[in-house]
Amino acid sequence: MIEALEVLFLLLTSLMIAYLTRHYIFTLTVLKRAKQTEKTTLLLTNYKPTVSILIPARNEEKVIERLLQRMIELTYPKDKLQVIVIDDASSDSTGKIADKYSGQHSFMEVLHRDKTKGGQGKASAMNAGFKHSTGEIILCFDADYYPQKDIVEKLTREFKDPKVGAVQGRVVVLNEPQNMVTRLVALERIGGYRVDQEARDNLGLIAQFGGTVGGFRRSVLESLGGWDESILAEDTDLTFKIYLAGYKVCYVGDAECYEEAVDNWKAYSKQRYRWARGHMQCCFKHSLKVLKSRNLGAKEKIDGLLLLNVYFMPIVVLLSFVIGVPLIFFDHSMLVGALWFSVPISLYSFVGNFAPFFEVGIGAYLDGRTRTQCLIPLLIVTFFYNIPICTKAFLDLLVSKILRKDSNIWVKTSHIGNGNSYIVN
Amino acid sequence: MKLGNILVSVLSLEAIALCLIASFRFINIESTVMLLIFNFLFASLTFQLNGTLSRKLSMLILGNIIGLSWNFIFYFFEITGTIQFGKIFDAFYTLFNPLLNLMWIVSFWSLCLAALPNIRNVKTEAKA
Repeated sequence: MIEALEVLFLLLTSLMIAYLTRHYIFTLTVLKRAKQTEKTTLLLTNYKPTVSILIPARNEEKVIERLLQRMIELTYPKDKLQVIVIDDASSDSTGKIADKYSGQHSFMEVLHRDKTKGGQGKASAMNAGFKHSTGEIILCFDADYYPQKDIVEKLTREFKDPKVGAVQGRVVVLNEPQNMVTRLVALERIGGYRVDQEARDNLGLIAQFGGTVGGFRRSVLESLGGWDESILAEDTDLTFKIYLAGYKVCYVGDAECYEEAVDNWKAYSKQRYRWARGHMQCCFKHSLKVLKSRNLGAKEKIDGLLLLNVYFMPIVVLLSFVIGVPLIFFDHSMLVGALWFSVPISLYSFVGNFAPFFEVGIGAYLDGRTRTQCLIPLLIVTFFYNIPICTKAFLDLLVSKILRKDSNIWVKTSHIGNGNSYIVN
Repeated sequence: MKLGNILVSVLSLEAIALCLIASFRFINIESTVMLLIFNFLFASLTFQLNGTLSRKLSMLILGNIIGLSWNFIFYFFEITGTIQFGKIFDAFYTLFNPLLNLMWIVSFWSLCLAALPNIRNVKTEAKA
């Protein structure tokens, strides 16, 4: 019995060490890159494809106006731009605000979805918008986001490379100073984008499309059949579909877009539950395909599998703790004692990407966030908070798989416009 | 590399080695491992950032001294606990020692990063 527990403990801690090593390599890669002379990024003025921007919006009256105003201010030629607001059965004045803007600007359109068709999640709204779009490149922005004026140029220039199927820009938290939750989410974003995504792109691994502040080549999205409405993490699903089809996702770090982050723990847990469950669905759907794929190299396969399994890590840490405690009490071998060190290091990690404290610290340093760095010890709080969220997501998914009732209820994150006061033009 | 820097580096390495030996000789192997983890992370990541070598070395030595003191305190706590509650307390110590050590490592690491000159500021100064 003890031997079996020891073997299980060894497996679980080895997995944690694999993740920690991966993120240590990511951190070193980004540090090395930052020391080199900054790459001059030329905006290719001769490459201006037609672009359709999809903005799914459901009850976003408090935030959508600032985004629509920003759409007018975009520097991309308006004759090559099509902005489609998908009013997804809103019960507030979102549709009216969008109508007002579309009436004034010919490049803006509003797609109203009634209660029979709308309100079935983001993927469904995106598919409706996609059918309506005409651009060669499809970009998407959530209604609570606020992009840079030249973001379209920055994102579309990467499509010059025919191997690029999708692009992803950088997400920065707009309402970071609001409270402790927004500050911690900001740190998470720094770890995820400034280090994680950047390193994966540099190392030729699986850069991830994050569902917003990014886009696709139309032909690729059409061949993939658009967004899968049965998956809660439709962005991760598309990421893997793109790689499996032989294309890649390109991360564009200088294309920044500002988001209104969740500002309370309840909203945080709802959002993370959706991400965790959706990510786990993708893991079940794509793991085997990733292993068998001929379009992916060995390092891409390893990274892809680690990425797909990332939301299982809090459960792995919890299990290793549960197994480790009796082992230490009843059979304190040198091996268990040595491996036990990996457990507390894992506790100081973010859940969405398993970015450990050193990765987040370096990301914050490279971003020049001196004060934010002092919050890094609080990462342990978010990790403990995420353990029950991910465990519940896993158990719910397991039960729904057994009962063959994979009901995906999309719980939308509500935005109350707190980010508006932080916008400085 | 200047002679002064070499001297400072050698003296710093000696100080760190002394801390490691002291932790192994007077505390336990667990404390030495924690100090090694701290030194590894600090040396491989923080030394690549901006800031003078002497500042980084000072931080590294300070970190080792804090780690050594921290582990000494908890070691004495463990001895007292074992005398009072028996061998079971020793298992508690093994269980929580890495977690308690990570508390000072992460806090000290984040404070050190905040104390180093920022990469963006340095670039702006260079442009000016």
